[in-house]
Amino acid sequence: MIRLLIVMLCWLLVASVHAEERLDYPARSDGGEATALVVHGALDPIHVRPLLEAFHRRHPGIALTYRNLGTLTLHRRFLEHPEEADVLLSSAMPWHYRLANDGHARPLDTATADAWPARARWRRELFAFTFEPVVMVVRRELVERYGRPESHADLLALLERHADALRGRVVTYDPARSGAGYTYAIAESRLSPRYWDLVAALGEADAALADTTGEMLSGLSEGRYWVGYNLLGSYARAVVEADPALAMVIPDDYALVTRRLALMPRGAPHPETARRFLDFLIGEAGQRVIAERTALGALHPALTGPGTANALRESHGEALRPLSLGPGLLATLDDLKRQALLARWRREFARGSEGLPPP
Amino acid sequence: MIRRDSLYRRLLTWLLLPLLALGGLMVLQAWLDARRTADRAHDRLLEAATLAIAEQVQWQDDRLWLDLPPAALEMLATDAEERVFYALYDARGRFVTGNAELPGDPRGGAPGDAALLYRDIDWGEMTLRQGVRRSRLEDWQQRERFEIRVAHTREGRERLAAELLRANLAYILGMAALAVVVLLLAIRGALAPLTRLRRAIRARDPRTLAPLDLPLPRELAELRETLNELLARMRRVRANQERFIGDASHQLRTPLAGLSARAELALRQDEPERWREALEAIRATGTRISRLAVQLLSLTRLNNPEYHPEMGRVDLNDLAREAVRTHWASCHRDGIDLGVETAAGALTVEGLDWQLEEALGNLIDNARRYGARRITVRTRPSPPTLEVEDDGPGIPASRRLLMLRPFHRGSDDQEGSGLGLAIVDGIARTHGVRLSLDDGVDGRGLLVRLRFQEAAS
Repeated sequence: MIRLLIVMLCWLLVASVHAEERLDYPARSDGGEATALVVHGALDPIHVRPLLEAFHRRHPGIALTYRNLGTLTLHRRFLEHPEEADVLLSSAMPWHYRLANDGHARPLDTATADAWPARARWRRELFAFTFEPVVMVVRRELVERYGRPESHADLLALLERHADALRGRVVTYDPARSGAGYTYAIAESRLSPRYWDLVAALGEADAALADTTGEMLSGLSEGRYWVGYNLLGSYARAVVEADPALAMVIPDDYALVTRRLALMPRGAPHPETARRFLDFLIGEAGQRVIAERTALGALHPALTGPGTANALRESHGEALRPLSLGPGLLATLDDLKRQALLARWRREFARGSEGLPPP
Repeated sequence: MIRRDSLYRRLLTWLLLPLLALGGLMVLQAWLDARRTADRAHDRLLEAATLAIAEQVQWQDDRLWLDLPPAALEMLATDAEERVFYALYDARGRFVTGNAELPGDPRGGAPGDAALLYRDIDWGEMTLRQGVRRSRLEDWQQRERFEIRVAHTREGRERLAAELLRANLAYILGMAALAVVVLLLAIRGALAPLTRLRRAIRARDPRTLAPLDLPLPRELAELRETLNELLARMRRVRANQERFIGDASHQLRTPLAGLSARAELALRQDEPERWREALEAIRATGTRISRLAVQLLSLTRLNNPEYHPEMGRVDLNDLAREAVRTHWASCHRDGIDLGVETAAGALTVEGLDWQLEEALGNLIDNARRYGARRITVRTRPSPPTLEVEDDGPGIPASRRLLMLRPFHRGSDDQEGSGLGLAIVDGIARTHGVRLSLDDGVDGRGLLVRLRFQEAAS
């Protein structure tokens, strides 16, 4: 069990440094069709492998290459070589949205695309295919002493009340260094002004700032931190299930939900296979693989049961706040806005750490 | 059946073509209107979005600063999921922030309070609608100018324009269909009297010449009146013919009755000498009857308007001399002085020699019959003229025209047929010659003159 955990952590760490990894599925020539498909994704092999295998089983004639890249690398590499990849998968919603907005995506005109929920696609160019809540992970020590925080309000109260006891035991994303952390921060600040109180409280508790979910999870597993705030649920689930000391909390006042996006570049070298892959990805078959064999969360409206968006909506329906797939994402990418938000974030965080009472 | 030319089709063409052109214009206008309306509606969004952005522009850290409101971009995206672009430029045209370097206001350095600019621009492969707002900071010290440029794709506009156009198109097509139907009915209705007229003419008894009497619109009433005039003329012609036939049978009946009475009288007697006298009288009457028949025949022929004989070249001098030669013997026997005076040189005219001979013969015969002692046949040049003058009793001027009608003759004459002058008149008409009757020399007798037109060449 521990060995498995270590292997898994290694994956996550590897993913976090954005090294390029390749998965290759050579074509079996019995099908007769000798085409290829190149997928670039910011999606770790542990999540993407079942998907690729299932697709390869269906279309053995397609030589499938998957490159795992960091979100920013993926973005930059596409802009430099727009004719390299057939499908781009990314968790960095604003960047992907910008690519589609600028007209780099090719529309998918299949019945599956039509049936896909309107809120989970933009035009027919950009498709959300996962449903991953942003969660808190708490250690047994914290729960035993102060009870389990079930919401942001609980967490804020906990931090304000036990700031000294929790000093250095809290971990969260550094919005300045992590794109995901920045995206969550800007979304949360739009949801409620009380977010800034939370940032100040985090500052007061001297919260550690991490770059990736993997980093936070390893700190939590090791017992360095008692509470982690804003972890990617899909990554945390497996670790938490493997470690009885940890518990995953989907806040019940609001929980951000991030969705991975897929698009076909206009200059895709194999548009036909790209179409087929994307159709598979948002089709019932691909979504079933996501639901049953990954922790990503399937979005398909027809699927129910564990690992699906429908199941999550049933248990936390009111609280879920999916990042909306719209031009608001472009505002996230605005340089001045980013500077303004980070400046505010730093100010609030510092205000807390200086021990000033909130106004 | 080939309908090469029809009033119906002409009307239809000349009414439908302008209607079609008008319809085309209306469709074009509707399309332009729909586009303009859609643009106006969506340009409001550009206005609102630029305003929302402009309100967030501040002066911070010694530079222009923008806290971009996401709602402004959401506004631009609309339901059509438009692609959205925005940019903030400072007074010197430097890019401050944005997701695309959009082209600026081409109006040049107008003041900051200028109206918003809307226009279509080509952006890579896309056509965008751009809005540019010029504004300035309203800070305590800072009055920095800046420019907000936003743009989005045109899909929502085009969808709205198409919707508006569809509604208008349905209306225009409906109107067009109605107009065509009304047009067809109107043309059919307008042409109906023509059909009625045709039916009325076709349904007539071919022997009646009664005037048409049916109510018709003004244009066709004129045609009806013209037809009625033609019918009236035909009625007169027919009355003339009937009278002529009546006269002719009467003329033939009298000598035939005389013939049979003379024969009966002779049969009652026994002397061969009487028979001989009777036979001679019968022969004379027979000759007269046959001459009458010949005259009737030629008059009928001359009166036939379809009769256009082939003309030859005739010398009037030869003609006059020949007529005198023919009639000289009989005149001499009656002690009449028949002479001829011809003009010098040849007098050639277009004509039929046998007809002109007959005319001359008739005139000489008439003069002789009405007791002339002296008859002169004369020709004159320029215009070529043929004259017959006698010193008989003449005809009073008031009766001269009447004498030209068949079966009119001097009251004391029993021998003549009354056809002579009528035949001359017919021949004159056939030749296009002017016939005139005048007093002879010293106001006595009759001078008949046939004046030819100057012969061509």
